[in-house]
Amino acid sequence: MKLIISEMVGLSIGEKHFIQGGIAQDIRSDGRKRLTPRPINVKTGVISQANGSARVRMGATDVIASVKAELGRPTALQPDKGKVFINVDCSPTAAPMFEGRGGEELSAELSVALRHCLLGGKSGSGLSSLLAIVSQWNVFESNCRVKIWVPLFVSGAGIELSSLVVVEGKICWDLYIDGLVVSSDGNLLDALGAAIKAALSNTGIPRVNVAAGASGDEQPEVDVSDEEFLQFDTSKVPVIVTLTKVGKHYIVDATSEEESQMSSAVSISVNRQGHICGLTKRGGAGLDPSIILDMVSVAKTVSEQLINTLDSQIAAAEAGEDES
Amino acid sequence: MGLPDGSGDLLSKMDGDAFRRLFPLQFYESHFVKSTRPDGRSLTEARETSSALGAVASADGSALVKIGSTTMLAAIKMEVMTPPTESPDEGCIAIDFHMPPICSPTVRPGRPADAAPVVSKQLSDTILRHYGNLPVVFVYCSSGMINLKELSLISGKAAWMAYLDIYCLDADGALFDAALLSAIPVVSMNDEGKVVVMSEEQGGKEAVNNGKRKLTLSSIPFSLTCILHKKYILADPTAEEESIMETLVTVVLDSSGQLVSLYKPGGPVLAYTSAIQDCVALTRQRARELQAILDEAISGMEVD
Amino acid sequence: MAGKGGATSSTYAPSPTTQKTKSLIFGNNDVDWVRSDGREFHQCRPAFFKTGAVNCASGSAYAEFGNTKVIVSVFGPRESKKAMMYSDIGRLNCDVSYTTFATPVRGQGLDHKEFSSMLHKALEGAIILDTFPKTTVDVFALVLESGGSDFPVIISCASLALADAGIMMYDLVASVSVSCLGKNLVIDPVLEEESYQDGSLMLTCMPSRYEVTQLTITGEWSTPKLNEGMQICLDACAKLAEIMRACLKGTNSTLEES
Repeated sequence: MKLIISEMVGLSIGEKHFIQGGIAQDIRSDGRKRLTPRPINVKTGVISQANGSARVRMGATDVIASVKAELGRPTALQPDKGKVFINVDCSPTAAPMFEGRGGEELSAELSVALRHCLLGGKSGSGLSSLLAIVSQWNVFESNCRVKIWVPLFVSGAGIELSSLVVVEGKICWDLYIDGLVVSSDGNLLDALGAAIKAALSNTGIPRVNVAAGASGDEQPEVDVSDEEFLQFDTSKVPVIVTLTKVGKHYIVDATSEEESQMSSAVSISVNRQGHICGLTKRGGAGLDPSIILDMVSVAKTVSEQLINTLDSQIAAAEAGEDES
Repeated sequence: MGLPDGSGDLLSKMDGDAFRRLFPLQFYESHFVKSTRPDGRSLTEARETSSALGAVASADGSALVKIGSTTMLAAIKMEVMTPPTESPDEGCIAIDFHMPPICSPTVRPGRPADAAPVVSKQLSDTILRHYGNLPVVFVYCSSGMINLKELSLISGKAAWMAYLDIYCLDADGALFDAALLSAIPVVSMNDEGKVVVMSEEQGGKEAVNNGKRKLTLSSIPFSLTCILHKKYILADPTAEEESIMETLVTVVLDSSGQLVSLYKPGGPVLAYTSAIQDCVALTRQRARELQAILDEAISGMEVD
Repeated sequence: MAGKGGATSSTYAPSPTTQKTKSLIFGNNDVDWVRSDGREFHQCRPAFFKTGAVNCASGSAYAEFGNTKVIVSVFGPRESKKAMMYSDIGRLNCDVSYTTFATPVRGQGLDHKEFSSMLHKALEGAIILDTFPKTTVDVFALVLESGGSDFPVIISCASLALADAGIMMYDLVASVSVSCLGKNLVIDPVLEEESYQDGSLMLTCMPSRYEVTQLTITGEWSTPKLNEGMQICLDACAKLAEIMRACLKGTNSTLEES
């Protein structure tokens, strides 16, 4: 993967030195410091059919996240909780390497990384049982695209999954979160994480009235309201900060040119309380454990700013949407 | 085929390993003349065989069989199903043979091995009852190893669905022999009596089959694969031998020595009746060995 | 729900172990509960390794941690696929699969595409790819029985198989996971513990070089807890690597880990 990116970006030796040297001296090619992210631009409600959606732009990186809520059945394992699935697609137009099947590997990698980063505490589900649910859903959703639906249990850290239950053990809301990479210039994971957070705060779940009188094994009848909507409290949803190591230093919000020079990258998701909600390491080269801990503390500082920026952007976007 | 003239000179100069790679057939034939094989066996001798039961705890029954370095892991999982209306008092067994990429350099992930479906079919045919529609190459006789009625729990309502999966962990020839040997003890010792079936009349749960129960095998099939090459008959070939000499004959006999099936999938050598009779005789001898190994494995299991 | 799903739901496993109630097994913040196999919280299961499990492979290893049983075969270095571009460093190709009977419910573990790419990432930092240019090394893993902590066992076993195949590496790769259960950190969790965990941390490292090649964390962790979890894993990895080394040297390969 590393190899492919560097080939595709096609940098000369001089350019590589320029990027590496700039990072070493704390002035990157676009004038940023190592820990300065690019300005972030959030727009919500971009897809009218979805229950919630958002578009996030960071420099030339452009991603869209949408949330679709459907009524489903809770799993036997967790009758009091709803389900969340994440799937990422890379548009073939986003980068030359996504043409044909090129984007599939990256899409799968991003889906898995998003799950690791956003999968909250109190999940009550190990890897294997999670996957079991995925495979079941592949069968049931056979009319949909057969894609890797990654169930995500964000409860303690993110969405209160018990709030998604309509009738315990019988009816719950399933959230399908789709990410689409429209244009890629590095740092896709952070952008997708931000877009999902924004899309969730934009999401309205219809109020459901359950007809009384259903008993036993029968599925109760429900009436889905198209006027009343419930909102999520997304203040607990973590943001993702990826630190990319180039040479001896690490940078935030790397562009794809900078990513081509990385030895390894660590993606850390942090919530408002400064707790780590997930971590995944990408890139092969080994890292000293103390450096990882160092990166974690840096990620916490960076995440504070990111959360604040994101929150104000989301608020502004929501306000703008209401006016229009 | 055949050594070029003057290869005698070449031979004297070449070391054994290079000779084996360049002229494998001649290498083997030079052994056969002395009634021996490169691994030190005589022509009709099978490799060392062992069988161990209960290797996998997550299955309802399992066995690990090694013939030489060919290794098979068979395991059975029992599930409950509603029997089909045509046969309300019968259960079902699904047999599948897998060759995962770990077992051989020729198998790649995502692409099933060519041999796997063939062995799978052979196994199903041997273990399950089968009537009619016999392919021409099968000289067939139903072995009726399992009585599917024994898998019934409540007639018309519940029956066992047994999934028998056999994984090849190391492929070094005679895959069918090893697979069959691993399948037999697994089939015979399944059904642990742990199931609880809903009985609708009482509205509660009721154990239908208390205690351990064994399936009775009406007859136990044993098989031996032989290679026919010129006038030689080689029992229990390795993968290398199978790749060099292509005519294989697989004979399956039941425990009373009767022929269950005979399988000769083409090959350049045409078999005379006498050669087939020799193969059957070898299989008869081998069946006694395998019976002893199986008895030992099962008695080892019952002591535990 | 019906349609295609109908075929799969016609049979069911008689006793899914997953339906036990959580509260019975782990009192939420109870410090006194005992692990189902009687281990202490920071005690790994006895590890057993054996190299040369598969004859026809260039190198192979079998690992058994309690009920978790894994075989890994390594093939190559051999010719890369024709479609591959020229590469002056070697390629690593990983695949992880499960037997149908590995999991308590049949056929659950079959689709593990992400495990393959995660295994690739855990190993590539340790292998000296320059030593086999233009060729590919294939690492294939088969989980015979899933008994919890499958993935760390796969990684450790794979690095042992690579060593057995004579592939040049900077160091052996050892991997250990901890589960967070209530207030407790539990090392080398079994399947049951994994299914009730509040968070998990899996660390893969090269112990002699003291370098982390793969780290995956799920769930909510405070910094002191993260430090503690990583330290536990690093210590356990160092011990695990000793066992693996002993196995390669052909000395006593079964050692009790503490």
